[in-house]
Amino acid sequence: MDERCAAENTYNIRPNYQHKFKVGLVKECMRQVLKEELSGQRYTGDSAPQLSTSVADCIRKRLEDMGFDRYKFVVQVAIGEQRGQGIKMGARCFWDADTDGYVQELYMNDSLFCVAAAFGCFYY
Amino acid sequence: MYSEKKMSKEDTWRTEDLLKHMRGHRYDDAFGNKQDHLDMDDNRKARRGESGDRRQKTSHKERDGTEGKSKHKDLDKGRHRNDTQGRTTHRDTEKDRDRDRTREKTRYRDLDREQDGSHERAKHKDLERDREQDGTRERRRHKDLERDRDRDDGTRERRRHKDLERDRDRDDGTWEKIRHKDLERDRDRDDGTREKIRHRDLGRDRDQHLRKDSRREKAAERDRREPERRQEWEGIEKRDYDKGHERAEKEHRKTERRRTERDREYGEGRERERDREKDQERWKEKDGYKDQGWGHSIKQVKENDQSKDKVQGMWLEPPNEHRRHKDGQHSRQKEDKEYKEQRRKEKEERERRRRERERREAGESRRRDKPSGDGEEVHREDVRRDRERRKDDRHREGRRGEDWDPEKALGKLTAGSQRRSAQGDSEKPGFGRRHLAEPETKIGDAEVSWVSPEKQGEEEGAEEYEEDFEDYEEDFEEADESDEAGGSDEGGAGGGDGEQMSLQQRKEVEAIRRAMEAENRRLGSVQSAPQMGECEEAGRDGTPDGAVSCSKTTQQGKFIDFVAAKHREMSKKMASKQKKRSAELLRLVDLDFSVTLSLLDLPPLTEYDMYIKSFGSTDTKQAYAQCREDDVDRDVQTEEVETCDRWTQHPADRGLVCGGPGLTSEASDKQTGGESLASQRLAAFLLSASQVMTVLLEEDRLERFSLCKPSLQRDALPFSDGSLQLGSGMPFLHGREVSLMVFSQTQRQTVLSVHRPSARPSAVYLDSKTILCIWNIWEPSCPQKILVYESEVSCCCFGPGKASLVFAGTAVGSLVLWDLREQSSLHCSIRIGEQDWTLRYPTFSTDAVLAASGHLSPVVALEPITPSTAETQRNSFPQLPWQEESSGMSFQLGSLDEKGVLNLWVAVELPRGDEAGSHINLGLRPGGKVKLLHSSAVAAVRRSSPLEALALDSIQSLLLKFHPSDSNHFYVGTDMNLVYHGTRHGSRSPPMFYRSRKGGLSPVRVTSLDFSPFDESIFLVACDDGSMRLHSVSSEAPIMEWTCGAGGSTLSARWSLTRPALFCTLDPAASIICMWDLLQKESEPVAMEKVHPDRITSMAVFGDPSKQNSFSGILLATHSGQLEIHYLSRNWTAPGHCELERLQKLAGDVY
Repeated sequence: MDERCAAENTYNIRPNYQHKFKVGLVKECMRQVLKEELSGQRYTGDSAPQLSTSVADCIRKRLEDMGFDRYKFVVQVAIGEQRGQGIKMGARCFWDADTDGYVQELYMNDSLFCVAAAFGCFYY
Repeated sequence: MYSEKKMSKEDTWRTEDLLKHMRGHRYDDAFGNKQDHLDMDDNRKARRGESGDRRQKTSHKERDGTEGKSKHKDLDKGRHRNDTQGRTTHRDTEKDRDRDRTREKTRYRDLDREQDGSHERAKHKDLERDREQDGTRERRRHKDLERDRDRDDGTRERRRHKDLERDRDRDDGTWEKIRHKDLERDRDRDDGTREKIRHRDLGRDRDQHLRKDSRREKAAERDRREPERRQEWEGIEKRDYDKGHERAEKEHRKTERRRTERDREYGEGRERERDREKDQERWKEKDGYKDQGWGHSIKQVKENDQSKDKVQGMWLEPPNEHRRHKDGQHSRQKEDKEYKEQRRKEKEERERRRRERERREAGESRRRDKPSGDGEEVHREDVRRDRERRKDDRHREGRRGEDWDPEKALGKLTAGSQRRSAQGDSEKPGFGRRHLAEPETKIGDAEVSWVSPEKQGEEEGAEEYEEDFEDYEEDFEEADESDEAGGSDEGGAGGGDGEQMSLQQRKEVEAIRRAMEAENRRLGSVQSAPQMGECEEAGRDGTPDGAVSCSKTTQQGKFIDFVAAKHREMSKKMASKQKKRSAELLRLVDLDFSVTLSLLDLPPLTEYDMYIKSFGSTDTKQAYAQCREDDVDRDVQTEEVETCDRWTQHPADRGLVCGGPGLTSEASDKQTGGESLASQRLAAFLLSASQVMTVLLEEDRLERFSLCKPSLQRDALPFSDGSLQLGSGMPFLHGREVSLMVFSQTQRQTVLSVHRPSARPSAVYLDSKTILCIWNIWEPSCPQKILVYESEVSCCCFGPGKASLVFAGTAVGSLVLWDLREQSSLHCSIRIGEQDWTLRYPTFSTDAVLAASGHLSPVVALEPITPSTAETQRNSFPQLPWQEESSGMSFQLGSLDEKGVLNLWVAVELPRGDEAGSHINLGLRPGGKVKLLHSSAVAAVRRSSPLEALALDSIQSLLLKFHPSDSNHFYVGTDMNLVYHGTRHGSRSPPMFYRSRKGGLSPVRVTSLDFSPFDESIFLVACDDGSMRLHSVSSEAPIMEWTCGAGGSTLSARWSLTRPALFCTLDPAASIICMWDLLQKESEPVAMEKVHPDRITSMAVFGDPSKQNSFSGILLATHSGQLEIHYLSRNWTAPGHCELERLQKLAGDVY
């Protein structure tokens, strides 16, 4: 019982500052990924799903490697053709704003646009 | 491997079954345990014994022989006894040799397996050694485990359950090992097939885990098997050798030597193996420790726990198996656990051994202190104590087992015999181990090395003794009797311990039973698949021991529920823990709805954007364009139109055709004003100048014609100086009778003549009209002004003052006036003949306007009322000439009609005339300035008496004269030969009327009434009967009265203006002009002149009293319309000396 009592206080409900979800880093990372993956790409309806999943995976891997401790990541990537249409995308989160965060990055070229959003949720 | 088995109700334990099984297991377990311990002890002792042997051979040969001998003696003794027993058992078992062979085979297999297991373990150990190099972790874990064990029974039990579970669940190796123990235990029973199965299973497992090591292991096995076989053979040999004590010993030594030799023969290959085998050995040693630990724990107080553990282990076996099939993949992890367990056991063993060693040391030291036999005795005592304890336990358990189940006791007996038979074999692995452990023991443990000889013997003895606990008592007595007290003490203590343990055990059993009941109850409705699975397994085995295995499997199947319950409990615990944690966390963490995040908001492109995107340069945007659209300039070239207002009319009135307001009109007004001013002055100048000029021209003409004219006129009139005809050439006056001629009293040369409408039409439109002409006697050729009126004019007069106004009374009762100052432009002009004549119509007329207040009968007389001299002097103020000219005429005018009504009028001059006509001043001609206002009306003829009143009604007024100096008095001549005297204001003054001396009223019309210009109190009255009277104003009767012949009439009698006593009369019927001079002749005229045949209709006298000689004459108007001016000769114009006094005296004389 003493052990358990001691154990109860060992968990932490806040991430360390070093391991906190840092928007700037993540954004830069995402920008790099998008640039690498999508520069020079042209939109084709067939390849878009694979492309989006690959981009999402790549971003997720990078995020996991960045050492955000006890964070879960949700990465969403949407790729669409750009033909001058209007687009609106939104997200809504129920979370702890102290620890959790999101980053959104947009890549556009003549042929396509890509919106990548990464949500980091602290896993208590 | 195995299909998953499900739990069912059938699988669950019923309480009695459970109890039974539990007991059975307990028995088995205890038994097995014991056996196990014995086995282990055997192993250990054998090993130690061997090492001891060797040591005896090598290092301790020269050491005390007594000790060695005594020991050998003991050993020999024990062995001897054992030998017999062993032989009997051998004999017994010899019958079942075949079976034993098979068993041996299985044992070999078992051993192989064990060795495989050890290999496996070794391998694991190798693997683990890296991790365990520090060993702290492991040790900690051991400590934990130990601590766990130290906890209270319930938890410990559960924990152990868990531990065991874990062990068995996860660790094939441990499981195997445990089963090995079990097998060792059950080996004697009949579990060959089962072992096979298990072996197969394990082999399968091992195949999975250890395929890579299989080759090497096989080689190792082969190597190992050879010595084992040899040892077996040796063991048999030894047993044979035991018959011969010393020989056996020697042989043993020999075999030992031989073995070592063979070992040497093995040479390098063996050396190579040895490294690996060292590891194995080490592990095996540990395993041995562990086994010993188990054994030791059984020996010691923990026996019950151990047995209980075993029981539980038995219970938990089936689920373990089951679980193992399930969780085969996790074997590696489980093996770790196994190692932990092993470690723990090893540690315990180590401790035990240490204690034992200490004890032995103590014993040894004693022995060393008492080399004669004390040490041996002590040692023996130790051994005996151990034995005793074991015997007690076994006895107790055995007894219990016998009490409970006689069959089992029988089984136990058989198991015991089997065990005994197997005991010899069981040495072999121990031997093998010993053999392998040899180098290590040689190198290391000196203690052990010198302890082991005795130990070996002792243990061997113990082992043999323990194998047969029927012989226990005697053996015990035989072994040592000297130390019975201590032993009994020890035994008593052990027995006490045992009882305590049993109590505890019971309690725990009860607790377990309760828990299981609860568990069963809970699992009332769970399926029974696991049993079937187990049965399948049993059936597949197809061994003669199927029943046993089946029963085992049912037990196992039934235990699944319990494990599941455990699991559930655990999960529940975990869940509750999680829940608690989450609740705590949720208190600390506050979740919130973050604002809606806009990930992307891209507006659609407009057309322009698309255009720019496709055609414009990139990254630029056109903000706006400039094209000077708003730069607009305006220019107006047309000029402003000037406008002004103007009026115009047709026909042009007074020369004005157009005009208008504004600048130009004002300028023109100013100009006209200036011009008018200038022109007025010019006109005034020209007027006067022209008058002067015309007068001069007339004079010149008169002087030129005077020579001839007087000649012409001289014969006509004797008193005339000359005569002159006015307007002789006027065509429109031709044929018109001149009814009246009036001289202005201020301007003596101006005369007004009234020409009646012509009877015969000469001109077109002027015939019906009366024409009045203004003449200047100095310009006789043509009239100055021509006035026109539509009807007949009965009387006329000039206004007072300047002769600028002309008044006229008409036969219709109206008064009209002409303003002679009006410009000729205001009046229309007609061209008659060669000359333009301006015809002036009246400026003002009372015709319609003042008809009510005017006269209702023809106006007969009209006379301006000049202000009286007295009044003039009284309020005399200096009047400016122009003022007098322009505005100074506010005077009264009296008019008398036939009915004797005298109307007084006021002539008013307006300050300026209105050219457009006036609404107020009706009757006024546009542009006219003078009008008449009715002032009052006076009855001129008053009725003094009723008698006269009748007469007066018919009296016709004919003449009106105001008194020249007092205008209040007026005098009216009537047609009844009377002159009435009246006043405008105040009472009447006498005389009321003037009449002739003849008296009475007579119908004689007074035709003329004239005051003398020199003496205003006398006046001359002429009547149409030819009579004349000279009246004074103060008397009714005349001063003088003249009657002229019959038939004659006097139309007018006028005083001369230059001579006071001279007057002239005219008899129109006879055309005779009589000149009367009262100073010369009072009764008859001085001269009577019959003029010419044309009848003279009117006569006027002119002359200026101030200029007596220069200008005096008479104007005669003929019936034909000619006007003749006769200038009187000098003697008729120049008054005589004191002519007026003489006249006044004459008149006074008359009165």
